[in-house]
Amino acid sequence: MSVRRDEPALNVAAPAAPYNEMLTPEGQVRPHYAALDARLSTLSFEELAERQRTQERFFLLQGITFTVYGADSSTERIIPSDILPRIIPAAEWARIEAGLTQRLRALNMFLADIYSEQQILMDGVVPRELVLNAPSYRREMQNLYVPHKSYANVCGSDLIRQPNGEFAVLEDNLRVPSGVSYMLANREASRRVFPGTFRGAGVRSVDRYPDLLLTTLKGMAADWRPNPQVVVLTPGVYNSAYYEHAYLARLMGVPLVEGRDLVVHDNMVYMRTTTGLRRIDVIYRRVDDDFIDPLTFRRDSALGAAGLFNAYRAGNVVICNAPGTGVADDKAVYAYVPEMIKYYLGEDAILPNIETFLCREPAQLSHVLANLDKLVVKAVGASGGYGMLVGPHSTKAQQAEFADALKADPANYIAQPTIQLSTAPCLIDHAVEPRHVDLRPFILCGEKIVVTPGALTRVALRKGSLVVNSSQGGGSKDTWVLSETKGDKA
Amino acid sequence: MMLARVADSLYWIGRYVERAEHMCRLSDVMLNATLDRSEAASQVARIALAAVGDPDVAKAKNPYDAARALALDRGDDGSIYSSIALARENARQVRDQLTTETWERLNLIYLRMSDPEARRSFEDGSQLFLHDTIADLHLFKGAGDATMSHGEGWSFLLLGVYLERAQLIGSLLEVVFGEGRKRKPISDHFALTSVLRMGCALEPYLRAHTADMQPRLILKFLMLDEDFPRSIRFCTQEIESHLSAIIRHAGMAGSVGPDRLAGRLRARMQYADMDEVEAQGPSAFLKTVLDECATIHRSLYDAFVAYPLEDRLPA
Repeated sequence: MSVRRDEPALNVAAPAAPYNEMLTPEGQVRPHYAALDARLSTLSFEELAERQRTQERFFLLQGITFTVYGADSSTERIIPSDILPRIIPAAEWARIEAGLTQRLRALNMFLADIYSEQQILMDGVVPRELVLNAPSYRREMQNLYVPHKSYANVCGSDLIRQPNGEFAVLEDNLRVPSGVSYMLANREASRRVFPGTFRGAGVRSVDRYPDLLLTTLKGMAADWRPNPQVVVLTPGVYNSAYYEHAYLARLMGVPLVEGRDLVVHDNMVYMRTTTGLRRIDVIYRRVDDDFIDPLTFRRDSALGAAGLFNAYRAGNVVICNAPGTGVADDKAVYAYVPEMIKYYLGEDAILPNIETFLCREPAQLSHVLANLDKLVVKAVGASGGYGMLVGPHSTKAQQAEFADALKADPANYIAQPTIQLSTAPCLIDHAVEPRHVDLRPFILCGEKIVVTPGALTRVALRKGSLVVNSSQGGGSKDTWVLSETKGDKA
Repeated sequence: MMLARVADSLYWIGRYVERAEHMCRLSDVMLNATLDRSEAASQVARIALAAVGDPDVAKAKNPYDAARALALDRGDDGSIYSSIALARENARQVRDQLTTETWERLNLIYLRMSDPEARRSFEDGSQLFLHDTIADLHLFKGAGDATMSHGEGWSFLLLGVYLERAQLIGSLLEVVFGEGRKRKPISDHFALTSVLRMGCALEPYLRAHTADMQPRLILKFLMLDEDFPRSIRFCTQEIESHLSAIIRHAGMAGSVGPDRLAGRLRARMQYADMDEVEAQGPSAFLKTVLDECATIHRSLYDAFVAYPLEDRLPA
């Protein structure tokens, strides 16, 4: 970690050194990285740079881009994709998989509970007002039938590896998590870049994701609809994740619809086709709750379909993920997930949480205010790396600004210690250097829970930065989950 | 079965790529012709500019600038750049309907046209630039032909291609042979050859009629030839067959609409008599053809895209 010398505020105790994914503290290459390391030593930086360019070209040609809107023109950029894979040995993955499965089971039980009996609130395990006052809590979902009680069908959890080498959950994304197309595209690219190493490593396949997603979605349809029509609902081509929506629709072989294609009549949802109206059974929606139905949620939304929610309530269509799942990935509710796991499953959480201070509690607020220079403060409702203060990287002025905001509306904030995300080798300006990474695996939950053996590894490409969001200078890389145990001795 | 919006986009992809190709060819022929400084050369430049719909004859004095603007002007909806950008934008909106092979071709053309270096590569070799763009557009159509299912979506795309082509060739013929304009008839061999090049018809024409350049034969060839893929007659055959394929897919056989119009237009071309056409003047005939193309376009929308919902709601 580099410390900027122009900021006296950074005079804090040096945090523990980050976990290095490739090297042991003694500088030895970890066994599961040995093959890649050997391959790298045979390539010149020029050859590596050439591969990096090939990969960028692949992304550009495929149109895996996001649009940056300028004053008079818009340009398309690719999300930087690093060619060096991040490698996870089988035993570590087994633990992650078990932890994610356990966690999503508990979160779906929590959602089923708070949208029906609210037993967990009555037992005082999670504070009632925390849940019921959260903006993401949808009263409209109360007592509504959800097949298999699977509210969150697609989940993309953010994991980080702490300095002690243990993975912990930073965030559960249960609304419309994105990034899975990058997992698949990075994989397609890295097979071309390191074919030999890839073949020899025994990397587990992620290719079945679209097919598993389709199975999950079909499993949500009513039993009496034997051949359910599934669609992907996108906000449209101007959405930054549009590529992903089109990609998933194409690989599942189902229509990609926009709100303007939908018609609700007699509580049934139809799409306008060239041959007239065709009924829809399951909507994999990539539109936020607020926008899916102007009659029920935001009135000014043109992205959804009027009457959609009533059709859902009538059981004539299934919306995946269910509206209102956001209450379970609320940044304050997050703090209670280990208790939920204990409460619903009688188990200890396999993947720990990051220590979280809830500013709504006066004692915790004063602790946070006294340590603004050391903590990461996040607004409960914000995402994407916005509305966030990274204490050790902030100025006095920014801290003062956050202190005022915290005092004005403490319930809107949480704080966590600044975690040294682990580092993985990345190709930066013709040299291999460590950069901070996180891990976003994707979990599907319909009739049963399936964890895809792979993930999106997000990279903070700026040296020293801990922010991996693509909107804030982050990139991504392929993640190899190994099927063999030969790398597990480390 | 496909989304109405998707059918609409595929149709427009077809129209825009065809338009871009035609504009490239007109520019290319114009630039090539005006390498000579002859009266025939400036006649060719005037024809090309009139055929792309630019009323400003003064531009014919500087064909290079006109061609560059036509190729790369981002502010002009009629430029080649705009057609490619719109085709690609439509493709992006139905990305899930195109195969990766087809998409890549179109995206590649777009990336080259929108590259900041595009202007320089045009200036380095304008004819090479146009030639490559045409070749890539052929690759796009070829990739689609070879990799996409030849179902409903493909038929919508080709409907766009052939309707656009029929209208573009019709407009070109009106400029060259129409009697509405006060221009002396074209008789120069070089100018006539250039007209054939604008329709990509030179070599097929030579095989059919030898190097005997006769305005009447050229008009007949571009209008009524049965086998040449850029003749209006050929286009109307394709329009009819793709429409009937769509109607077959839709299970809407028997309900009259665009197919009746397309059949009538095809018959009009198939049984046209060149003497009659000349007797009433080519302009009148071409006007009927262009009007009927526009009517087919509207009735396509009424039948498949923008139909009234009340008619289609389940009882």
